[in-house]
Amino acid sequence: MNRRLFSLLAAIGLAAAALPAAAQNKPTEIRIGVPSAGTGGRPLSGGSIYSTAHLIGTLEDEFKADGIKIKWIFFPGAGPALNEAFANNGVDFGGHGDLPLIVGGSTGLKRKIVLASSRFDDAYLVVPADSQARSLADLKGKRIATFKGTSGQLVLNRVLEKNGFTEKDFKVINLDTETQRAALATKDIDGAIVAPFDLEARGVAKVLLAIKDDRKIVGPGSFWVSEEFEKKYPQITQRVITGLVKAARWGSDEKNREKEFQLWGQAGTVPYIDYVKRWNGWALKDRLSPLLDENYVAAIKRSAEEAKRYKLIRREADVQSWIEPKYLNQALKDLQLEGFWTEFDADGKPKANRVAAGS
Amino acid sequence: LLGGLLPLALLLLWQVAVQRAWLPEQILPPPSLVWQSLRELAESGELWGHLAVSLQRVGWSVLIGGSTGLLLGFAIGLSRQARAYLLPTFEVVSQFPVVGWVPLLIIFVGIDEALKIAAISIAVVVPVTVNTHKGIANIPQRLIEVARVYRFSALQVIRRVVLPAAAPSLFNGLRQGVMQAWLSLVFVELLASSEGIGYLMVWGRQLMQLDLVLVGVIVVGTVGVLLDLGLRGLERRFQRGALNAF
Repeated sequence: MNRRLFSLLAAIGLAAAALPAAAQNKPTEIRIGVPSAGTGGRPLSGGSIYSTAHLIGTLEDEFKADGIKIKWIFFPGAGPALNEAFANNGVDFGGHGDLPLIVGGSTGLKRKIVLASSRFDDAYLVVPADSQARSLADLKGKRIATFKGTSGQLVLNRVLEKNGFTEKDFKVINLDTETQRAALATKDIDGAIVAPFDLEARGVAKVLLAIKDDRKIVGPGSFWVSEEFEKKYPQITQRVITGLVKAARWGSDEKNREKEFQLWGQAGTVPYIDYVKRWNGWALKDRLSPLLDENYVAAIKRSAEEAKRYKLIRREADVQSWIEPKYLNQALKDLQLEGFWTEFDADGKPKANRVAAGS
Repeated sequence: LLGGLLPLALLLLWQVAVQRAWLPEQILPPPSLVWQSLRELAESGELWGHLAVSLQRVGWSVLIGGSTGLLLGFAIGLSRQARAYLLPTFEVVSQFPVVGWVPLLIIFVGIDEALKIAAISIAVVVPVTVNTHKGIANIPQRLIEVARVYRFSALQVIRRVVLPAAAPSLFNGLRQGVMQAWLSLVFVELLASSEGIGYLMVWGRQLMQLDLVLVGVIVVGTVGVLLDLGLRGLERRFQRGALNAF
């Protein structure tokens, strides 16, 4: 009896001693950078796991009890602006398309990729509704807009390369996504790679070139944590990633398809109808898989090679060393979601389902 | 010589700031990297290509804006009617900065080359007009009277009296016009360009190569100083020529 009481008291004492230490070991807020903003700079985004987490409030729920505030920061200047903010220590976590991820990493920004946030998209080269162009060759020497430094620029370069061109064959100007859409309507540009279906429905633009069957045309999205934050708050980092995997699970559920597209569509830069049409025929869970599988690794390495080849980075990018899968694996284990998402190989084909037996 | 002290001090501060890592190296690259990028760009010819595009834009704008400014200035200076009609409007309009014109210009001329030339031309018109007009307005009355005594024709008055007497002011206006053009250029090139020094700077920022941005700053500064020095030299020579006309 005495011994029991003693151990109970000791446990209480230990817990009390541990409490202040634990309190020190948590931030007052978690700052998450999103590399886009809705129309007119509204704090909204769509199309990725972190967008879904933001829109359904997964992380807010997770950290409410701790009094930790989740601060979402939306960057109308997209990935490049988020890199600048990160360099100035303005964010702890962030999402990125492939090019700004690689550009930032190649300049020595210290962060770890903790999950894949989106993959496998189509690409559409869109021209004004009354454009006379019948093929990409007809646009030679004309103005094509892209948001330079974002993943969109790599997509454009891939599309051009696929057709035997380079940026030098066109006048490639720098406009943000929102302005590209407006400039197509006012015919100030002759082409751009944007979400086509809403523009088409409004009669202001049409698709010149659709690339639907190529799982390598659009690079994967990534979600990362700053190395500093990860070292300081490993448990918090784990909980953020577990929260995002929960959101991915919700977002991968076919019964949430309609709801999810409506939420994403609020941002406006990719309207609702574009999600409906571009995800038609896709299982949600194939494109919203958080796995850092063979497919992700191969794709992001390919993007780094392309960035180098198109002269968008000047230093080598050792992409492999940026990837840290341990938090994701832990989250999958904790949530009993191992094997839920299909692994894909380097070409984007589903791998034979031997997840449980394998690693 | 003393004027070189401040730049040297800044360079030193820059170097110290980099060494002490006051700012992340992604935001403030070391001077050595900037120098290296400058040399690489110069050797590959890329820099000269961008510079040629920029100078061409300035050239056209000075031609268009300068001749418009001279015409306006002469009209306002020489004709009382033109002054009555044009001057008040001009004075109001000349208060708008170039930046303020851009949204309106985009609606009228789009975002292409025409936008850049138009916006820079507007920057040139104002100083040229103002200085031309002032140069003419400040011609001493007695010179005109002498001309009248000699029964000069209108053309002779302009050639033998107005032009020489207003020359210093005219040149001052042109010089200011060119400088204004050069300064507005960079801003205008930030918008929707695919070439030019201003474009190089935007590009550098988008790809987190801040050394390119700083190369741009150095080139813009150097070319600006060279332009100013060159024009001052020309001005001095012409003024001497103008004095000989008397």
